[in-house]
Amino acid sequence: MKDILVADRVSKRFRRNPDRYATLKELLIRRLRAKRVADEWFWALKDVSFRLQRGCSIGIIGHNGAGKSTLLRLLCGLGRPTTGNIQCMAGVGSLLELGGGFQPELSGRENLMTAGILSGLRKKQVEALQEDIVAFAELEAFIDQPVRTYSSGMYLRLAFASAIRMNHDILVIDEVLAVGDHRFQTKCIDQLKEFRRAGKTLVLTSHDLEQVRSLCDEVIVLEEGAIAYRGDPENAVHYYHELMRQRTEKRAAETSSAEGLPHEPSETRQGERLGTFEAAMEQVLLLTDTNERAATWKTGDRLTVDIHYRRLPNVQDVAILLGIYTETNVKCFETALPSARDLFGPLSETGILRCVLSGLWLHPGRYYVNLGFYPTDWSYTYDYHWQMHPFWIVSDEPVDRFQSVSGPLAVHPLWSRL
Amino acid sequence: MTPPALPSLSERSSFDSMLPNSSKLLYSIDLILHLSRRNFLLRYRGSLLGVLWSLLVPFSQLLVLVFVFGKVLPLQIEGYPAFVFTALLPWNWFSYCLSSAGALFIGNRDLMRIPTFDPMILVVVDVLVNLTLFILFLPILLLILLLYDRPFTPVIVTLPVILSIQAMLVIGFSLIVATCNVFYRDVQYIVSVGLMLLFYLTPVFYAVKNLDHSYQWMFYLNPMAVLIDSYRSILYWGYPPPWIHLAAVGAVSLLLLWAAQRFYRKRLPDMIDLL
Repeated sequence: MKDILVADRVSKRFRRNPDRYATLKELLIRRLRAKRVADEWFWALKDVSFRLQRGCSIGIIGHNGAGKSTLLRLLCGLGRPTTGNIQCMAGVGSLLELGGGFQPELSGRENLMTAGILSGLRKKQVEALQEDIVAFAELEAFIDQPVRTYSSGMYLRLAFASAIRMNHDILVIDEVLAVGDHRFQTKCIDQLKEFRRAGKTLVLTSHDLEQVRSLCDEVIVLEEGAIAYRGDPENAVHYYHELMRQRTEKRAAETSSAEGLPHEPSETRQGERLGTFEAAMEQVLLLTDTNERAATWKTGDRLTVDIHYRRLPNVQDVAILLGIYTETNVKCFETALPSARDLFGPLSETGILRCVLSGLWLHPGRYYVNLGFYPTDWSYTYDYHWQMHPFWIVSDEPVDRFQSVSGPLAVHPLWSRL
Repeated sequence: MTPPALPSLSERSSFDSMLPNSSKLLYSIDLILHLSRRNFLLRYRGSLLGVLWSLLVPFSQLLVLVFVFGKVLPLQIEGYPAFVFTALLPWNWFSYCLSSAGALFIGNRDLMRIPTFDPMILVVVDVLVNLTLFILFLPILLLILLLYDRPFTPVIVTLPVILSIQAMLVIGFSLIVATCNVFYRDVQYIVSVGLMLLFYLTPVFYAVKNLDHSYQWMFYLNPMAVLIDSYRSILYWGYPPPWIHLAAVGAVSLLLLWAAQRFYRKRLPDMIDLL
């Protein structure tokens, strides 16, 4: 099949200090002082090449600053590669920043028209598509209101709907599927799958590796601007995890030699613990309804997790992951808190964070609470507790002799004949 | 190792060029009209007097000038309000465009980031929107000319020629200002000071021919002075415009537009990186 998107040895260089000479005045002053600041450049992308065939979808993963966004922007034609070139044989739609170009004062309809025309459609074509887009975004009642009155969910729905419904052959999506309510998110994913079935091409980045896995035929792992790995999603995700672990270890070695750690001068792993401990969970308590420590819970009971943490002064914010896993490491549930500071306000240096899980609808067995503290860009790990906090679920229900159940979820199947 | 430099093919318009020319033109018209409409809507949304505001400004300017140079320092020009107003409208077109030019690129970051969008469109739209204001004023201007008994002659049909020359001039200047302002944010302040000074050096509220001959050459170097002289010739005096000077300004404007466009194209990738 024919290639639809070709990147040939693409490199991109940026100035590290871009606000140098922001005004003519400063330019003059610096010239007069005759002190020339050496240009500091860094390569955001190094020699990236790939070919994408029509109908293939590609995911790009990598930690923050690995060059994902730069690459996507270049693919969309925003800016030129410093060397190398990009060839694109079809119209590209992009969702780089949701709602970029929306004017808060104008109505949804006006903004839709702007987005449509800017994406290369004639006015008539946009008018023809308009109702469909509005219906997809479920905004029929609000489309003539100014966008500034929209809730953030409505805003995102409009932006997503307008990007995906404009009939481009290639859609470039940067990190936007993690937004909106769950139902709409599912709708968007379905729409993207539909888009792929229609033989169109998707290029996307996401922090949600599950999404990348389900939407892409191929995944590129970027590391410091270069392609570190390219292959099927499964292996790429493994590779990415491995990369992230290496980064964490490196970082841990650096910080522990740089400054006295608050406790436990650990190289890297401590049994089942991993991280740099710049923000550390010193003690994790699993509590019952009556706030007592326990080792067993009944199906449906409430579980309270208290995290006693300590952070270094330079750590202003942490992202928190809290999940329940079976013994065989099957995820039963996980919650990710992208910013503790947003939720709790500025964090004291030591303190206790509490998470209450109102009902453990799990089958009897041994489970673990796995917890992680991360920098807010999730680029490495402050502290991760893997299988360190076990608990048991017990049940006093009689064993059902007619059926056997498996899987972690306790839903009490009840059969009857009507 | 630095990869070897290859000729880059990823210009913004790599896809556009595949469209036939006619539909590309129609598309551009749609785009420009829509953006102008949007610009208008935004400008007057939420203001009580709406479009009246832009009517009030020239009228108050006119009143002040008429008071100062009619009563305080009388210039003894016949039909002075009509004389001033013929020059004030084109001057305002020029000065509104240039004073808003600096913000065009840096203030529309989200549009600049749209792959297929050519930011130069923003300049064209801005010039057109301000031209529309000018045209909205034309009936009022004609009314004032009638009130003061100015002669109407067929030379008035040359108005579109003068308007087009001014449009080229304004687009050229605006493009340069908008581009420079992305790199040096104080360009727009320098421009606004320059505009203020140029207002006094352009015969808006006075007439060049009353001036000592040894200074008159100065005005031939100022394209706005020549343009305003032309507007005045056809509207206020009923004479044909000073063709030779006008042609020279036309040539200069064309050259400026070409140079501005080259400059802009050259800096465009840098601008997009910077924004």
